Amino acid sequence: MELFLLEHRKLWRKAGTKISVFICFLYVVVFGSILSFQWFNFGSKVNFTSSNFGKNFDGYTAIRDRQEYALSFGGVLSDKSIQQIVGDYQRMESADAKKAWDLTDWMIINDWLGNLWPELQEAGSYQVGISYFEPEKLTDFYGRRQLVLEKYLENNNQTGKEKEYLLQIDEKVIRPFYYGWIRGWQTLLSITIDTSAESMALFLAIVLSTLFAGEWHNNTSPLVLTTKNGWEIIAVAKIITGLAFTVELFAIIAICDIASQLFFMGTTGWDMPVQLIKLTAIAPMNMLQAEIYEWAFTLLGMVGFAGIVMLISSAVKSNVLALLLSLAVVYVPTLIDPYLPCGLQKALSLIPLVGSGTDIFRTYTFHIFGKYVWSPYLLITVPVLIGIVCMPFVVRKWSSRIKA
Amino acid sequence: MELSIDRLTKHYGSKIAVDCVSATLKKGVYGLLGANGAGKTTLMRMLCAILESTSGGVFLNGKDIIEMGADYRNVLGYLPQDFGYYPGYTAMEFLMYVSALKGIPKSIARKRTVELLEEVGLGDAADRKVRTFSGGMKQRIGIAQALLNHPEILILDEPTAGLDPKERVRFRNLLSDYAGDKIVILSTHIVSDIEAIADEVLFMKKGKFVLQGSVPALIKKAGGRVWELTVPQEETRKWQAKSTVANLRHEGQQAVLRIISEHMPDERAVPCEATLEDLYLYYFPTEQEGV
Repeated sequence: MELFLLEHRKLWRKAGTKISVFICFLYVVVFGSILSFQWFNFGSKVNFTSSNFGKNFDGYTAIRDRQEYALSFGGVLSDKSIQQIVGDYQRMESADAKKAWDLTDWMIINDWLGNLWPELQEAGSYQVGISYFEPEKLTDFYGRRQLVLEKYLENNNQTGKEKEYLLQIDEKVIRPFYYGWIRGWQTLLSITIDTSAESMALFLAIVLSTLFAGEWHNNTSPLVLTTKNGWEIIAVAKIITGLAFTVELFAIIAICDIASQLFFMGTTGWDMPVQLIKLTAIAPMNMLQAEIYEWAFTLLGMVGFAGIVMLISSAVKSNVLALLLSLAVVYVPTLIDPYLPCGLQKALSLIPLVGSGTDIFRTYTFHIFGKYVWSPYLLITVPVLIGIVCMPFVVRKWSSRIKA
Repeated sequence: MELSIDRLTKHYGSKIAVDCVSATLKKGVYGLLGANGAGKTTLMRMLCAILESTSGGVFLNGKDIIEMGADYRNVLGYLPQDFGYYPGYTAMEFLMYVSALKGIPKSIARKRTVELLEEVGLGDAADRKVRTFSGGMKQRIGIAQALLNHPEILILDEPTAGLDPKERVRFRNLLSDYAGDKIVILSTHIVSDIEAIADEVLFMKKGKFVLQGSVPALIKKAGGRVWELTVPQEETRKWQAKSTVANLRHEGQQAVLRIISEHMPDERAVPCEATLEDLYLYYFPTEQEGV
């Protein structure tokens, strides 16, 4: 315990650790969450053509207006409410287009309309569907969604037992859908948490790659390795330190991110199903459950990645090489992913933090021992197992006398 | 207590760093002398169990030190040649950290740390960051960390490197006080340090022990091989080229040469009393010959 506390203090005393955590905090929490909510993602637009950054610094009030507006449609998504939503948008657009664009979830709704009622689209029209679809023709939302989902699976060559398996998962989705303001949750679940995980991987690698390799860098390894506790016990203390740091970094970022989310968005809409973000999603989850999944995915992925980084750090003597190899574990698969066959892509996604928590919006499956397994189940478990498997090898590598 | 080195060998590819050396070390201070690349550091690392031998072994009281593991490290103190430290730590924090690595309880460690910092003359610098220390101060904290656990076997690789003469005297006294019934092995290029404190000296050349014995016995071996020759100054170059000159001093127009030679180098030469340094030069007349 004493050694763990000393190692932990040693890690946090390094300037590199403090700077890394600070930059990570600035990028993920301040830039990726607070400024995103208040300014460049949810601030009201200065004009129609302004870019993301051409927005007012009024996200807090703008979000409340949007939430209030969305809830005015009764809270439950039915054919009637969809007709009201579209009708109201068209009225608002003709009176004040800027307001309609700012206040409504028009992009998401328009996406639904295009997928569910494609026959209403006019060839050659310069307008988006939501601007001209006749509201009274928007009927059978749930039936059409079911057909679109089945067609989507067939287009992906997911037929037979695989299709049956995925549709069984979809059957658990609670209907009718609760409706509210979607775009905040969409940004949070599709971008914010995913980006946080990618960023934390970088900073985790910077800090943990020095955990063992740093002893060679400082030339302290002969000193440590000739002490009573300098082999297995110190290696275990360092591993626990690495894991503690991983959890601490996660906690700092996640708690601040969630606090920012609660401040700007509150809890409104937590019980909306994720299908509002992507109609063909089959995850039987509401927004809160999806957020819990994505944060859990991030934490477990980070733990798995920490295990790999520590193994690399114990196996090489150079801080720089340890860092480069650690980063390569995450970023090389991401870079080469588009050029790989689908099977290999799926296999690589099981490497910690290479896959994405946003797979809950997809219908990927793994075929294991004759059974289909929906990808989010494996993506949350396998990476952490990889990290755990690495840990005995970390101890072994560090205690290997031959390196000294 | 007995530390036996049994046919210890280390190869790096085709290069032989340590070549089948054997010795039995009992309590006392052992000085390891040899030129750069003679295999001293490799040998010391194997004695510390942080470098695997190619063949042979090291045994403490008959037990293989590799198999002893933590039990061996518990009685070991080691100062590596290039002693590393944590730059952001104060001297006190650094020694407390090493104490924890050595499994010394916190209360004892604090007392021992304060005591050792005083002994190595760093009492006033206990709260200063190690990165602000001079080379000599860093070396002294290195010596202190090696002594933290009252090691039965103390291995010091170039402990006096970077120490000024006063610090070297302090170190020699510290080591003499400490040695008692312990096994102390130290390597250094500073022959006078070994001469002052070593009970026994091991000469290492090309990975082998070429000579071994007590300081007086070894000095005796150099007897009759050390000469003093007074020559005109213009002849000094000639003598330096053809023989091993241990020392040269000018006296007016003359130069007095201290020459190491099996035979009387010149009719004018007079025999003089040998030192360990003379013996060192006799065995390693040039740097290359030691390797």
